[in-house]
Amino acid sequence: MSWTELETDVLVIGGGVAGCMAAIPALEEGLQVTILEKGKVLDHCGSVGCGVDHYLTIMDSGPEWDTPEFLIKHVPELTDGIVDLEVTSKLIHQMPRVLKKIESFGVNFKDPRFNDYYRLKSFGLPGTYHINFDGTEFKKHIGQQVRKLKGKVLTRTMGINLLEKDNKVYGAVAFNFRSGEWYAIKAKSIVMAAGEVNRLSKNASGMPFDSWHCPFNTGDAHRMAFNAGAILTNMEFVETTLTPKGFSAQGLNALVSEGAHFVNKQGERFMFKYDEKGENARRAVIADAVINEYLLGNGPIYADCRHLPSDVLDHMEATLQIDRYTMPAFYEQKALKFRDEPVEVSISELSIRRSGVYFRGSGLAVDTQGHSSKENLFAAGDCASVSGGIAGAAVLGHISGEGVSAHVKKLNGAKLPDFDSEEINRIKNENEHHLVASGMNWRAFEDKTREVVSDYIGVRRSSKSLELAMQTLSALAANELEMKADDLHGLMRVNETKSIRLSAEVMANAAMARTESRTGSSHFRSDFPETNEKDWKKFVLVSKEKDRMKINFSDASDSLASTFNRGS
Amino acid sequence: MSEEKEVHNPIKIDPEVCVKCNLCDWICPGDLIYKKEDDRTTLPEVKYPDECWYCGLCQSICPVDAIKIIFPEEMINCKTDVRSLLGKDVE
Repeated sequence: MSWTELETDVLVIGGGVAGCMAAIPALEEGLQVTILEKGKVLDHCGSVGCGVDHYLTIMDSGPEWDTPEFLIKHVPELTDGIVDLEVTSKLIHQMPRVLKKIESFGVNFKDPRFNDYYRLKSFGLPGTYHINFDGTEFKKHIGQQVRKLKGKVLTRTMGINLLEKDNKVYGAVAFNFRSGEWYAIKAKSIVMAAGEVNRLSKNASGMPFDSWHCPFNTGDAHRMAFNAGAILTNMEFVETTLTPKGFSAQGLNALVSEGAHFVNKQGERFMFKYDEKGENARRAVIADAVINEYLLGNGPIYADCRHLPSDVLDHMEATLQIDRYTMPAFYEQKALKFRDEPVEVSISELSIRRSGVYFRGSGLAVDTQGHSSKENLFAAGDCASVSGGIAGAAVLGHISGEGVSAHVKKLNGAKLPDFDSEEINRIKNENEHHLVASGMNWRAFEDKTREVVSDYIGVRRSSKSLELAMQTLSALAANELEMKADDLHGLMRVNETKSIRLSAEVMANAAMARTESRTGSSHFRSDFPETNEKDWKKFVLVSKEKDRMKINFSDASDSLASTFNRGS
Repeated sequence: MSEEKEVHNPIKIDPEVCVKCNLCDWICPGDLIYKKEDDRTTLPEVKYPDECWYCGLCQSICPVDAIKIIFPEEMINCKTDVRSLLGKDVE
């Protein structure tokens, strides 16, 4: 046998905020937890790499807007009615508790200027829900908690396949791309927390790894879960943001919450044409407005901060590097002073994440325990059906951690199946073949996927364009086994490339099924340009049945869990 | 793979300043920087420069400020027409 066999109570795939926050309650319950992490450390957020500067939360501080009930009431309008309200309600109710818990790890959410929470309003939210803070050390404290509780972490290790028997997930196959060691890991339950799908479309710089969110989050959770038969939802929606042209980086929240304006080439502040909230509209609306302005020929578009008071500009400048350390260097090397001149912006590349709105996540459908449609498989963070940035990842992560702990305890020591050596061998051989294969290099394969997504599935779609996309993506899939990797690192990329292609194909199929448009450019069908409230208050559910992609629908007024049939 | 110009290396490590400690390899989220462990005689190598995210974590953790992130021309002076990212009209 040429792999290492391990056994654990809970296997967490992805050591970002969601994964760590899921591991913590399980460790507190005395369960053995193993985390697979492609990076080497747990000190930084999975999605943004550095720290964070905004954290969305209810604090129950007194005013009505700061209560769970008030925010929950606004969730349907924030999500254009496509949201799992049951899971979202639980998440919002748990926000104050999880905030306190993270503070107990040593994270300081207060602004030293006031020794109090500095809360700002942005992205269409009906209150000042975002704590603006120096979260450079945010994730470090969470990672340290995992280590303190003796969570086991396998770093530079990528999970690639789930193992299942009798319709239940019981483990995963993974490999370390530094040492080449293979693992078969048996687990009573698994939490998928591997983030969203990036590197999915072209961006302004033409450099695929220059992406808003972490380019190493590539839909690995989506692929593993889909191949194991789990239901994915909201996969038709794409997300994009505004970035300084040429550098796809975080920072839009800081800009809009502090009062920046967007202007077109005529100097017109155009956002109010699209939304009464202006620059405070939802991210999806801001992106859609900018896309429209570009298509109308009103580009370039600029972010303008020149009207802001100097103390606000000082604060923006001082916090510029928190969630992207290199942003000051970018402005410096570009010789651009955002205080004195407008900054040209572009839309970023696309991702499958939460379509520019809070609480409508794209990925594994989950219930109020974080349990997916597949027995023993949980999810949290940007790969789950309810998502809300860092805070959403933290809170749903914690919910899934408590859910998985209760589930494992209920299993009451039931014996796990024996490893299916034949299957593990097949997976390993298929992977090792990439190291000697002579087909397309993963880079070229991925470029092709990005081209198809940008041109035919992206921010403007039609049945014809989606048909073309599906044909090309299927043709690519036929060449997948011969994709070439130069080394173990390349083999990791090959697997990411497969996840990206599959996610694009799922997106194309889901987008084809939703014969309406919704949430601006998140899902714009040029052949069905109107939003159809009568027929389309529905989730599109994608799953694999008998090796084919199967589409189902469910009423968005019901929870996603009502469609689950775990069959156990 | 398409035939290309020389790959830009965004992670400039000053060999005179570097103390060969391993931290940049350790922190890189993309597995780009390779440094022989427990060996204070070898420099880190940026093995996959075109896969850099420009996150700057290597620079932020370097104990002696030996690392500088250099943005390429495509990013600093980006000439792309944003409309080219907005999809094709398919009849």
